Amino acid sequence: MSTPTYLFRRVLQAAAVILIVTVVVFALLHSLPGGPARGILGPQATAQQIEAFNHEQGLDKPLPVQYLYYLGQLAHGDLGTSYTLNEPVSQLITERLPKTLLLTVLSAIVGLLLAVPLGMWQAVRRNKPVDYVITTLSFIAYSTPVYFLGLILVLVFSQALPWFPSQAPQGHTLGQVLSDPQGLVLPIAAGAASMVAVFSRYMRAATLENLSEDYVRTARAGGSRSRAILWRHVFRNSLTPVVAMLGYYVPVLFGGALVVEQLFNYPGMGLLFWTAAQSSDYPVLLGCVLIIAVATVTGTLIADIVQRIIDPRVKAGRS
Amino acid sequence: MTADQRPAAPAAGPILRLDDLGVVFTTQSGEVPAVRGVSLLVEPGETLALVGESGSGKSTVALAAMGLLADNARATGSATVAGTEVVGAGEAALAGLRGRTVSMVFQEPATALDPLTRVGKQIAEVVRNHREMSAKDAAAEAVELLRRVGIPEPEKRASAYPFQLSGGQRQRVVIAMAIANEPALLIADEPTTALDVTVQAEILDLLRRLAAETGTGVLLVTHNMGVVADFADRVAVMYHGEIVETGPVEDVLLRPSHEYTRRLLAAVPRLSVDGEDLSETPRAAAPPIEAEPVVELDNVSVVFGRGRGAVRALDGVSLTVRHGETLGLVGESGSGKSTASRVALGLITPNEGTVSLFGTDLARTRSRARRALRAGVGVVLQDPVASLDARMTVGECVAEPLRVHRRALSARERQERVAAVLDRVRLSREVARRAPRELSGGQRQRVSLARALVLEPRLLVADEPTSALDVSVQEAVLEVISELQAELGFACLFVSHDLAVVQHFAQRVAVMRAGRVEEQGDTGTTLLRPETDYTRRLLAAVPVPDPVVQRSRRTERLATLAAGRTEATA
Repeated sequence: MSTPTYLFRRVLQAAAVILIVTVVVFALLHSLPGGPARGILGPQATAQQIEAFNHEQGLDKPLPVQYLYYLGQLAHGDLGTSYTLNEPVSQLITERLPKTLLLTVLSAIVGLLLAVPLGMWQAVRRNKPVDYVITTLSFIAYSTPVYFLGLILVLVFSQALPWFPSQAPQGHTLGQVLSDPQGLVLPIAAGAASMVAVFSRYMRAATLENLSEDYVRTARAGGSRSRAILWRHVFRNSLTPVVAMLGYYVPVLFGGALVVEQLFNYPGMGLLFWTAAQSSDYPVLLGCVLIIAVATVTGTLIADIVQRIIDPRVKAGRS
Repeated sequence: MTADQRPAAPAAGPILRLDDLGVVFTTQSGEVPAVRGVSLLVEPGETLALVGESGSGKSTVALAAMGLLADNARATGSATVAGTEVVGAGEAALAGLRGRTVSMVFQEPATALDPLTRVGKQIAEVVRNHREMSAKDAAAEAVELLRRVGIPEPEKRASAYPFQLSGGQRQRVVIAMAIANEPALLIADEPTTALDVTVQAEILDLLRRLAAETGTGVLLVTHNMGVVADFADRVAVMYHGEIVETGPVEDVLLRPSHEYTRRLLAAVPRLSVDGEDLSETPRAAAPPIEAEPVVELDNVSVVFGRGRGAVRALDGVSLTVRHGETLGLVGESGSGKSTASRVALGLITPNEGTVSLFGTDLARTRSRARRALRAGVGVVLQDPVASLDARMTVGECVAEPLRVHRRALSARERQERVAAVLDRVRLSREVARRAPRELSGGQRQRVSLARALVLEPRLLVADEPTSALDVSVQEAVLEVISELQAELGFACLFVSHDLAVVQHFAQRVAVMRAGRVEEQGDTGTTLLRPETDYTRRLLAAVPVPDPVVQRSRRTERLATLAAGRTEATA
């Protein structure tokens, strides 16, 4: 398949997936008990007040109508208005999305930069003490809830050892956030930990598999040293399956951001989603979910394209 | 890395000397000795063939000579390459030797190359491992090497990825890597086993030419006696990890002194050639003339895929297999022989043409009737490991067709039938309780055969049933099939790439090429005096296990090829 045809098809698929996500999430949110009126007007509100609110917000119309109305607005970039903050959702998201992207992308980069060499090191030293130690630490990091890990990080590196602030940078713009790199260290560490744990396992498995491939023996028979073979051949071959996994990891990263932002009081998407969920702020919730869906689909799309670049067989449809 | 521009001049004396070499594998069940007390010499410029059946330890010896044994293997004794000890040597010493003084060609060209690195770059890597050279010069050298190994358009091909090359071309690339620094010793481990016979002949010609040009000594590891006859000066025969016989190729192949060598050679199916006395060739009895057709393919075409990527796998193929006879389906990989067998099984619906099984047009049957028809067909496939369910016992594997097609049988009757069919394929009844993995390859293939025959089929489709087996085991399995055919009278569609096996086993043969039947007829006629050039070329490329005959066959083949080439260019 030629590259333009491929891209066109993949983007169409992505759009279809996002549309389905909006339907599912819309249906789920509207089937929750309580409803937004109760959340906004409080437990004291009378039935009349609630009815008036529902009418005003269009919440008394049939669900499909509400959904179509929502989609129509979406086409114009209008994600609705927050019930609680009285601000357009699109504006809330534009303000906060870059911060979350900054946090997740940096966490992902740091995580991968650690996970890939760690996994390879483990594979080369398979069943040696280093392998066992890293494996143990990986399982601990993976099974510890992010909020607990974050708390420990704060206790150790902010309270006991006053190296880093316990609060993330509070600036509104990316520039302001980046001007306080110290404050980003602990949130990124908390976000990257599970990434390191998971991807070092993938990398270890992929490297082990490739080390036993015939081409490694061919390279050795040609007089190449182990180290050269590892970096020239095994590294790239092992990276392809790991890159494929990366796309599917985007929602996990966002999930992590939800907790990390709450913990370090970092005003990003996660915090927005958290508060919106607590006050049944439907427009905001839908907007956030939509963004996460778009991010996930984009993530897999990018992973697929990167795979096409590093593995020529994918383009030829051979694997 | 050394600054030497040329490989070390071969020291006087043997280029490879193995002295009481032993290899022990440490496994979960303890220490397993794989090679014991192997001593041999390879002189500069000579080819020593190391032959033996699977598990004899021949590949282990080859890997030990390169210091390439797996981590769980331990070598003892001595292996010296050009005077340098390999056993116990460190990585630095070995890396200096490998690819420069000694190099290796492997069996499986499909996996021997890094799939993500361009072939030119992989060759250049070997060049630069041993010669101080800029990346640019090494790339030019790689193109030159590709030209030497006979790759067309080497400048273009150097930037191809392995998957873009055919199996034969990939093997040429592996050879280019091996000869990159003009080694004094070349170790070739089953270099042509994964290739078609015509490609095999080309690769052997290439290796012979390259070795002669540079006076390289060759250690050739193979199970194929034809290849040995074609290539080797001397032969060492391995059996159970030890060398049982060594000598000049004529002596070992024509006048074997050891009992095992005699047995091994007796089991090798020999291709009879025109002019030979055929009265001694064993052959199954001719089938009754004009018996009813059991399966009939009439003008069948099969297309896989759509649009530009569509592949015409079969193109107007007509075949008939009659009651009691065996039709051999031969051809090179990709010729469509397996596709044709699947069409006969009703597993692939043809795009054009008709298939009738037992006189019924398959296209006109509904699923239930078709299933009943299928009960009359038994199948044996190539890989006896993959075609038996590892989680079932042998008895359950064999009983499965009964469960599907003979539901009325009681458990006891089923058991009796399984026991009876195991008797028929000469397996002990005890085997029914064992797992397939506990059996040897030949036993497993007989289990497959038992499963295929338990319904007493009228048609047996055997797709390369013995190509994963050693020759002695192959002989036993084929014998069982012939005997049962004489007894039960089933028709057999026998797919094989091995012309010698087909000549011995089938009464009629169809030669396939690129989805078409090139020619078909009685085995005795078609494979002795073929009508088409293609079949002639195919037959000429088969090496026979007689060094004297093979030498003249080779000269003849090369002369024909050269004549064809001048004709083509004229």
